Amino acid sequence: MSKLLQIFSSRRTWAWPYVAFMAMFVVLPLVLVGVYAFTDIEGHFTLHNFAKFFSHSEAIQTFLYSLMIAVFNTAICLLIGYPAAYIMAQEDFKTPKVMAMLFILPMWINFLLRTVATVELFNMCGLPLGEGALLFGLCYDYLPFMIYPIYNTLQKMDNSLVEAAQDLGANRWVCFWKIIVPLSMPGVYSGIVMVFMPTVSTFAIAELLTHNNIKLFGSLIQDYITTTDLLNYGAVLSLVLLIIIGLTSFFGEHDAKEEGGGLV
Amino acid sequence: MRSIWLLAISSWLLALPLMAQSHITYELKVGATGENTLLAGFPDSYAGEKVNIRVQTATLEHKPLTLTDALDFVFANEGSESLRAWGDSIYHYTDEAEVGWTVWRNKKEIKNRGQRVLVTNAYKTFEEYILSHAGPASSLNRKTGWIWWVFAALLLAGTAAYGGYIFYSRRKEKELTSVEQETLRRKRMGLRRHYGSQLYLWLLLIVLYAPIALIAVFSFTKSKILGNWTGFSMDLYVNLFTGKADAGLNSAIWYTVVIALIAAVCSTLLGTLAAIGIYNMRARQRKMVSFLNSVPMINPDIITGISLFLLFVALGFSQGLATVCIAHVVFCTPYVVLSVLPRLSRMNPNTYEAALDLGATPAQALRMVMLPELWPGMLSGFILALTLSVDDFGVTFFTKGSGGLETLSTFIYSDARKGGLTPELRPLFTIILLVMLVALIVINIHNNKQKKE
Repeated sequence: MSKLLQIFSSRRTWAWPYVAFMAMFVVLPLVLVGVYAFTDIEGHFTLHNFAKFFSHSEAIQTFLYSLMIAVFNTAICLLIGYPAAYIMAQEDFKTPKVMAMLFILPMWINFLLRTVATVELFNMCGLPLGEGALLFGLCYDYLPFMIYPIYNTLQKMDNSLVEAAQDLGANRWVCFWKIIVPLSMPGVYSGIVMVFMPTVSTFAIAELLTHNNIKLFGSLIQDYITTTDLLNYGAVLSLVLLIIIGLTSFFGEHDAKEEGGGLV
Repeated sequence: MRSIWLLAISSWLLALPLMAQSHITYELKVGATGENTLLAGFPDSYAGEKVNIRVQTATLEHKPLTLTDALDFVFANEGSESLRAWGDSIYHYTDEAEVGWTVWRNKKEIKNRGQRVLVTNAYKTFEEYILSHAGPASSLNRKTGWIWWVFAALLLAGTAAYGGYIFYSRRKEKELTSVEQETLRRKRMGLRRHYGSQLYLWLLLIVLYAPIALIAVFSFTKSKILGNWTGFSMDLYVNLFTGKADAGLNSAIWYTVVIALIAAVCSTLLGTLAAIGIYNMRARQRKMVSFLNSVPMINPDIITGISLFLLFVALGFSQGLATVCIAHVVFCTPYVVLSVLPRLSRMNPNTYEAALDLGATPAQALRMVMLPELWPGMLSGFILALTLSVDDFGVTFFTKGSGGLETLSTFIYSDARKGGLTPELRPLFTIILLVMLVALIVINIHNNKQKKE
């Protein structure tokens, strides 16, 4: 009894229930994705699912297309978001907090509802739904994820470095490219990761924004995984997505550690 | 504060032309009358004349129905009961006269048809339809709404005023000395940069808020289809609060609240205990658990959802409320851990031991020493968990099973795919937005006050 008490009074053990919970509902499910990918429907080991993926041109095409859309969307968000973050981080900008708040506020509205509203907006303005609408909708949904980390790094940046550069004769342009951009790279990295990852794995949005005409990889996975017979093949597709996510987060790991997750 | 007002006003202004756009006007120049079935049966001859055709549109998704089909049906069955039945079978909102088209000539309505028709918003199809029925040598133009002209005029006037100002100041500048000119130039450049960047941010915000403004504005009209302004009305708000809205929506709201509360309570308890444990671990262990903690945060919803779905399938769990709650706890708890940890590192680590030394049981020490220090972190974790849970779509979608359980997100999804939003969602989200706005303002003011102190 006293030993039991001792175990509980050592506070280290208080994390055990959580660790057990995570092992059960985070680690095991991820392992299961791998297990399902390497087995057939009766549970025997097979590589057939992978062979199917590499010979399934629709899946490969959708995958590449989704990657391309995600890259485009990330680039657009960066191009639009960086200037916004830069302006807000300027010293003479008077209401950065309110602005930052206003940029984040739309995220508190359910993203599906925002997507539907975007569709309606396009309809009312007489614009066609399709690739353009898809990119607009994605950019609209994920832009705050780009602005916020960049704004955070820029704001924390030591301004005396910029002043020093100016004193040493650098003009605004040189100063921006040689001082500000390199110093804001951690924020840019984490912004890229935070926009790219949800975009590449997105589903549901694409169907609404394109009247079901364009299918992204996420929707493809959804189709297969919810069909009982094709569950194992769906697991392969998920595994492919998981690898992409892993690579992306590895890319963000080095520089984005402090900035990531700050956005809520 | 000023900027919030500015934003509110500008987004509502933006909604005005959208409201005016709820119908589209075409100008038809009628060709030879002989084959003109569109305007047949009228005493006048319209050959060579121009008439306006005003069309109200609405969205109908996924339906293999074109306007041509719809109008052809109306022509064949006009005035008969079967029309209404047909409309109802296609779309459950058809009992309202949402869409129709009227023909105007010299500001007088001469023909009014298809009031109960729902059409796709395929404008092109409509144009084809009119042209194919108006006889040869007819031509059709889409008229631009007057509000766009007003916008264009304002833009032009603004540009002209700015140009005039520049011209005027340039002329005055010539009378100054070169030093004065230089300072003036610098000042002007600074001003230009300032206003340019302000303009950029505001344009971005307006685009960002336009769809939201659309929802908010159209929550004050009775129209069942978003985008059709049928006059000011609070009916949707009344429906929402008196439970007269769609039964599916009511149960979705109910489930969303229940799931969010269960998930937030469980994850707050689990996460707080875990945070205390992690804080007291040795460096290596701590690193490992922290990594584990970050996995659900890095994973996109679809991966979390699918992996849990596979787990439940493998274990043979029947999916429903319980599985959704577990899934929500999975992705909420890491955030609770992260919001409690900073509070722990801020408190004196010895107080807990002191309490134990003074004879308190661990439970007492936890309740009386640690909780008072930790509760702000727990509270923010709890609120975070609530909002994450309410907002989630991906994970819920894969773990809700097929038993008819819907949360707000999944309800919106299936609703939108069916071809239209349940109208009561509009007031609901307007209210949520307002509550969020007020909460954020209050937090902001509170933080500022604390800083000053």
